[in-house]
Amino acid sequence: MHPRNIRPWLARYGLLLALVGISLALSLAKPGFLTVSNLINVIRQISINGILAVGVTYVLLTGGVDLSLGSLVALSGVAAACWAHPGEYPVVVPVLIGVLAGALCGAANGAVITWGRVAPFIVTLGMMTVARGLALVISGGRPVSNLSRAFTTLGSADLLGIPVPALILAAVALASHLCLRHLRVGRYVYAVGGNEFAARASGINVVGVKLFAYTVCGACAGLAGVVLASRITTGQPNAGLAYELDAIAAVVIGGTSLSGGVGGVGGTLLGALLMGVINNGLDLLNVSSYYQQIVKGLIIVGAVWLDKRSTK
Amino acid sequence: MKPRSKISGTLLALGWAVAVAVAPGCGRPTGTKTAEAGAAPAQRLTIGVSLMNLSNEFIVMLHQAMLARAGELGVALIVTDAQRSAERQVQQVESFIAQRVDAIILNPCEVEASAPAVEKALAAGIPIVNVNSETRTPPTAFIGSRDEESARLAMEYIVQRLGGRGNIVMMHGFMGQAAQIKRDRGAREVLARHPDIKLLADQTAEWDRAKAMSLMENWIQAYGEKLEAVFAHNDEMGMGAVIALEQARLKSKVIVASVDAIADALQAVQDGRLDATVFQDAKGQGGGAVEAAVRLARQETCAKEVFIPFQLVTRTNAGQFLQTVSRP
Repeated sequence: MHPRNIRPWLARYGLLLALVGISLALSLAKPGFLTVSNLINVIRQISINGILAVGVTYVLLTGGVDLSLGSLVALSGVAAACWAHPGEYPVVVPVLIGVLAGALCGAANGAVITWGRVAPFIVTLGMMTVARGLALVISGGRPVSNLSRAFTTLGSADLLGIPVPALILAAVALASHLCLRHLRVGRYVYAVGGNEFAARASGINVVGVKLFAYTVCGACAGLAGVVLASRITTGQPNAGLAYELDAIAAVVIGGTSLSGGVGGVGGTLLGALLMGVINNGLDLLNVSSYYQQIVKGLIIVGAVWLDKRSTK
Repeated sequence: MKPRSKISGTLLALGWAVAVAVAPGCGRPTGTKTAEAGAAPAQRLTIGVSLMNLSNEFIVMLHQAMLARAGELGVALIVTDAQRSAERQVQQVESFIAQRVDAIILNPCEVEASAPAVEKALAAGIPIVNVNSETRTPPTAFIGSRDEESARLAMEYIVQRLGGRGNIVMMHGFMGQAAQIKRDRGAREVLARHPDIKLLADQTAEWDRAKAMSLMENWIQAYGEKLEAVFAHNDEMGMGAVIALEQARLKSKVIVASVDAIADALQAVQDGRLDATVFQDAKGQGGGAVEAAVRLARQETCAKEVFIPFQLVTRTNAGQFLQTVSRP
C-alpha cells in the first residue's frame, strides 16, 4: 500500500487493529484467552458498560456529557427490583419501571440543561447525587433481594449460546446506529454537536434534539440498571459507582469526540470491547490489582493518543 | 421532533415521583433522626454519632441497633453520615463539640485520618466511643471486633472442608482500606500454617457484587476445574462468586466462604448456596456503643475495650442468625 493511503486506512481501522493486536498478544500469553467460552464470557461482561456507552454516545455527540449514569444504574436497578419479587407482577413491569426511571431522570437532566441553561457537567453531577440518594431512600440503604426467577434469567440466560445481556446490547446498538445514521433526529444530533449555532440557524429544534439525547441516554442507563440487577440477582443502591467514567472512556476510545459532532455507535462498541478484553486478559494473567489499574489507565490514554495521531 | 412544553416535563417528573412512592414494600425510612422514647427525664442526654457510610448495609444495621438501644435508654442521638470521608467526619465531631453534646460515638472511616476527631473530643473533655473500627489515637472506650479474626474463621472453615490440601482464590475488598488489610492478614496467617493449600490467584473486586461476578467468570476461564474454594472479604463479593459459579455449573465443586452475614448471605447459607459466612454482631456493637456512651456521660465506670467475637455461620446454624437480622 502506498504510504499516502495508509493514514485514512489507519484512521478507519486503527482501533480494530489495536484490538486484534492486544487479543493476539493475550492469546499468546494465555492460551485460555482465545476460546469460544472465554470470548462469550467477554461479551457478557461488556454488556452493561456497552449499553451505557451506546446511550452516552448520543449525549457526547451533542457536545454534552452525562455524569449521572452510574447513579441512574443504581436507581433503576433498585426501582426495578422493588417490582420484581416473585409472584407479583409479570417480568415486563419491573423492566419497564427501570427503563422509565432512567428515562425520566435523563429527561430531567435534558430539561434543566436546555430550559434552565445550566452546564451539562453541573446538572448531571447534581443528578448523580440526587439519583444515588433516591436509590438509598427507596431501598432503605439495603440491597433489594428475593427477585423472581423470570427477572433474574434476563441477566443469566443464553439464547442460541449467546448471553441475553449481549443480545440486549446488540439490539440497543443496532437501533441506535440506525437512528443516528438514518433518522432525521439522529442526523440533527450530529448537527447540534458539530455547530449548535448553525444548527439553530438552519431551523433545527436544538432544545428538542438535546432533550431527546439525554432521555435516550437515561433510558439506556435504566436498561443497564435492570440488566445489572438481574445479573447480580439484587437491586443494589451502591451499584454502578463510577460506571459513567468507563462508559465515557469506551465512547472516546471509539473515536467519538468529547466536543461533539464526530463519531458513532460502531466505534463505541469497539471501545467497550477493547476495555472488556483488557479487563478479562489482566484477570486471566493474574496481574496484581495495583498494576491492573496502571495498565488500564495507560492503555486507555494510549489508544486515544494513537487514534488522534492517525486521524490528524 | 416536536418541542415539549414545560408542563409535560413537570408531568414526567411527577409521574416518576408517584411510581417511586407507590413502589411496593420499598419505602422504608432510614430513620436518621433523634430517637424519641418514653417520658423525657429532667436532663436528657444527647449523644452525637458520626457513622462511616450509611450506604453500607452493615453500617445501616449498626445504626438501627443504636437507635433501638437509645430508645430503650431514653437518650437522644444526633446521627450524621461521613460518607467515607474522614475529613467530613472530623468536621462532624467538631460541630458536636460546639453543640456541647454529652458524649460522642465515632465509627471511624480511617485509622489515621479520623484520629484528629478523637483528639479534639478528648481535648474538649467530651467522652468518645469508637465503634467497629479503630483510630490511631485511643478513644475513651472501644467497642468492636478484630477483623483478622473474621478472615481466620472463614479460612479455617475452608481448610477443614478441603482436608488441608487444595487450590483457592481470594477476593479482596477495596485495596488499602483497614478491613481489606486486616482480612487479608488473617487469611494469610491461616495459609502460612497450611502449605498444601495453594493460593492460585487473588484480586480486588472492590466489595462489589457485579465486579466479583466478572472476576469469578474470568477465574473460571483461567483455572476451570482446578478451582476448589473461594474466600471473599465480604458477602457481596461472595454472593457474586456464588452466582458466577452456579451459572457455570461449578458450584457443587467449589466451596465459597465470605464475611459479614448480611441478610442475603444468611439466606444463601440457609439455602445451601453459600457455604459459610462470618457473623459480625451489629446489634452487640451498636447497642454496646450507646450503652458505653451513656455510662461515660453519667461518669460511671465502663470497660476501656470490648471485643465482640465473630461467629462462623454454616447451614446448621444459619436459621438462628436469620432471625436476628431483621429482614424487610
